[in-house]
Amino acid sequence: MTATVHAPTQTATTPAAVPPPRRRRPGNLGAAATVAVIGVFAFGPVYWLLVTAFTPNDDVFRFPPRLWPEHFTLEHFANLADNAVLGRYLVNSLIVSSLTAVLTVLVSAYTAYSFSKFRYRGRRSLMSLILASQMFPQALLLITLYLVFSAYGLLNSYLALILSFTTFTLPLCVWMLKGFFDTIPNELLEAAKVDGAGQGSVIHRILLPVSLPGLVATGLFAFIRGWNDFIFALTLAGPAKQTLPPGLVNTYLGEFQAAWPDLMAASLVVSLPVVIGFAVLQRYLVAGLTSGAVKG
Amino acid sequence: MTPLPTAERRPLSDRTFGFLLTLPALVLFGAIVFYPLIGSLTTSLFEQSLVQPGREFVGLGNFRAVLDDQFWPVLWNTIVFTGLGTIAPFLIGFALALALNTRLPGRALLRGAFLFPWVIPGVVVSFAWLWIFNANYGLLNGILVRLGLIAEPVSWLGDPDTAMYAVIIAKTWASFPWIMVMLLAGLQTVPGVLHEAAGMDGAGVLRRFWHVTLPHLRGIIGIVVLLEIIWNFQHFDTIYVLTGGGPAGATTTFAVAVYDTAFKGFDLGRAGALGALWLVLLLVLVVVYVRFAEREEQS
Repeated sequence: MTATVHAPTQTATTPAAVPPPRRRRPGNLGAAATVAVIGVFAFGPVYWLLVTAFTPNDDVFRFPPRLWPEHFTLEHFANLADNAVLGRYLVNSLIVSSLTAVLTVLVSAYTAYSFSKFRYRGRRSLMSLILASQMFPQALLLITLYLVFSAYGLLNSYLALILSFTTFTLPLCVWMLKGFFDTIPNELLEAAKVDGAGQGSVIHRILLPVSLPGLVATGLFAFIRGWNDFIFALTLAGPAKQTLPPGLVNTYLGEFQAAWPDLMAASLVVSLPVVIGFAVLQRYLVAGLTSGAVKG
Repeated sequence: MTPLPTAERRPLSDRTFGFLLTLPALVLFGAIVFYPLIGSLTTSLFEQSLVQPGREFVGLGNFRAVLDDQFWPVLWNTIVFTGLGTIAPFLIGFALALALNTRLPGRALLRGAFLFPWVIPGVVVSFAWLWIFNANYGLLNGILVRLGLIAEPVSWLGDPDTAMYAVIIAKTWASFPWIMVMLLAGLQTVPGVLHEAAGMDGAGVLRRFWHVTLPHLRGIIGIVVLLEIIWNFQHFDTIYVLTGGGPAGATTTFAVAVYDTAFKGFDLGRAGALGALWLVLLLVLVVVYVRFAEREEQS
């Protein structure tokens, strides 16, 4: 979040080789009981989301609800597929999140390289400035962003969403990429310079190819953050350019009677890419967590 | 093969080049973050509408109006949401981290699975809990009625007395996994030798927790709690989708109030004034956080 946040990264990325302390049996029982109780709180809602998404309407809309499902249906997913508006939200989400990721990685790679490998006056201040900017409240930025995009006729455009998403993806990506570049030995880059490579080719022929996994991981985090955004897409885009999160809110809430099972099915669909993304990113997770990859 | 060094090879010093590399980000950031921030703060001094051009300078009039009216209840709601919304997930996340730091079978898998509530999009968190808290068909009412704890279904999100707690429960569900992962990472750096030594000296589980584990985790606990406070202080998504700030303003925090004043009331001046006060409080929290993080880094 700020330049100083890497304190937890250090502790977090050096897992001790020492095994956890040996506990006697009562300790283990206590641990199992704790996991069980918190597990009910953590997975109960997930279970209910799944059950509702696959249960026919007749069973869903009754009180008190049945905890164990009796009938199974895919009709709610079929309803989603039949809804052309949702398809448009999905396409918008994919386009905007992807382009946000590409733009962010492009811009932040140069900045992260600068922060990682160069020393100049004002460097630390710039780092703090960029990273602290994640702390600025979005609702406040939105007031002027709305006026500016409106003045330039950019409301309801992909560009407005991409630029506004960059306000939160850029600090994150600069921070993460700096971490990746820090692990690339200076000697590798110096050797290329000795061989006559200019500053530009050091970046494009050596640094970026070598850091490809880091660039992809960072881009994926940016994609996820863009995918999850709600407030900017809600405000800066209308139905034609809106992404899934505000799109689902506008489609299913505010109606007199919400189509809950359809909404639960849609929730599963919109969560899927993010869950897959995190499974892929497991090994980068702690670095991503400490840099505020997904804001709480 | 190796070309001779030429005069042009270093037209720029490394320092200058290094700085120039940051320019694309700085220009972009100036345009989409710093200019909007200053622009929004400036509107606090004007009478200005979202939908009509032109504005009129009113000095501190907006601040006076906001302080007389919205500010205090909104501040109180934000404090309640931030306070309970930090304490509850912290306790749950810490308990879970301690439990998963034992030799429980399948703990690696569990650690991943427990992340689910935190990984999914914020609106999905809200959808799931909207459905659970639903007054007519909700799971919570169903369970409580069956257990005989309540006679009639309760409108958890529709009652000013319960709405805030319902929102905090949903937010807690989405927050605790992050805290768990961070604290678990911290716990794994506690040297086992320390525990064994304390154990041999006859210290029980509780005393070892108090005298060995807790001091070792002090830094990471501070970071986690402060970041969680800062994030909750400006949280928007969960609250807005669950209650929209209602009923009767019972869950209107700063984020919701600024948003609604600007985009539903179209009153940019008041939104700017409320936002400026909000930002000042937020900056205090950020300064506390930065100081703490710097001190931890040094020690």
